[in-house]
Amino acid sequence: MQRILLAILVYLMTSQIVITNCYSVEPDEFLQNPKKELRARNISKNVRCLVCQNQSIDESSAPLAKDLRILIRKKVKQGNSDDEIYDFLTERYGDFILLNPPFKISTLFLWILPFFFLAVGIFVIFLHNNKSKKLDYNK
Amino acid sequence: MKKKILISPIIIFFLILLVFFYLLIIDRNPSELPSVLINKKVPEFEAKSLLKNKTFISPGEFGNETTLVNFFATWCKPCRDEHPYLKKLSDKNGLKIIGINYKDDSKRVIKWLKKLGNPYSIILLDSNARLGIDWGVYGLPETFIINSNGVIKYRLVGPITKKNYDAFVLKVKEVEK
Repeated sequence: MQRILLAILVYLMTSQIVITNCYSVEPDEFLQNPKKELRARNISKNVRCLVCQNQSIDESSAPLAKDLRILIRKKVKQGNSDDEIYDFLTERYGDFILLNPPFKISTLFLWILPFFFLAVGIFVIFLHNNKSKKLDYNK
Repeated sequence: MKKKILISPIIIFFLILLVFFYLLIIDRNPSELPSVLINKKVPEFEAKSLLKNKTFISPGEFGNETTLVNFFATWCKPCRDEHPYLKKLSDKNGLKIIGINYKDDSKRVIKWLKKLGNPYSIILLDSNARLGIDWGVYGLPETFIINSNGVIKYRLVGPITKKNYDAFVLKVKEVEK
């Protein structure tokens, strides 16, 4: 019985690993130079697939994702810097193609609002605590 | 005063809820993306033509008149549905339409055009999707309206249909002004 349970546990754990490490890069896309390949992979992980919009192009098997992966590798091979490649992509597809939105005036609220709400929340809890401390429950 | 502060999160919560509800009921497609190319010059590119034996060089061949750029492929079903409307736009409204054939087989395209008619003034080949990437294309069909100065004014993602045809013609007229 214990063995079966253990087997199920191991299966569940490893299947999780398989799911989270599911990449779509096909063998023929790999660059020969491992350093450059790693750079291309890291860029791909930050680029949104516009077909399946919550996946990066590294995970997506959509044809457009594959085309972009190949294009990024070509640009890495040609010696373009990471920023040059990101600029190339945003010029055509907008900031939306980056999974990490850049910090600029149009995205200011996006970055600041969570901290603002956190501060408001802390303030409200603080007020609430203060108030309940003043109450005398023994009376 | 303190009570007001304490109920403010609830009010904010309902305001946010109201915004979400509004976004839910209005007619919009959240996966449709605005093009960053709007109000920019057409991208520079060179492409081979399907039927004419010459190289098309952008932006030199744009300008002078309002032009449509339509990305299509024979393997794309909505493109086929859209085809009669493109034909109508070129026949009735006399619009110049540049077709960009996206990742397709040339023989099939020729057969397709023979069967359905050819609304395009020129068809460019984009076998490796490079032109598509330059235009920020992410799903076929896509149609761009380019004004007489060679500036992109509008992009439609998805087909021109019976439902949006009139609105599209209106957009073209707006650009022509």
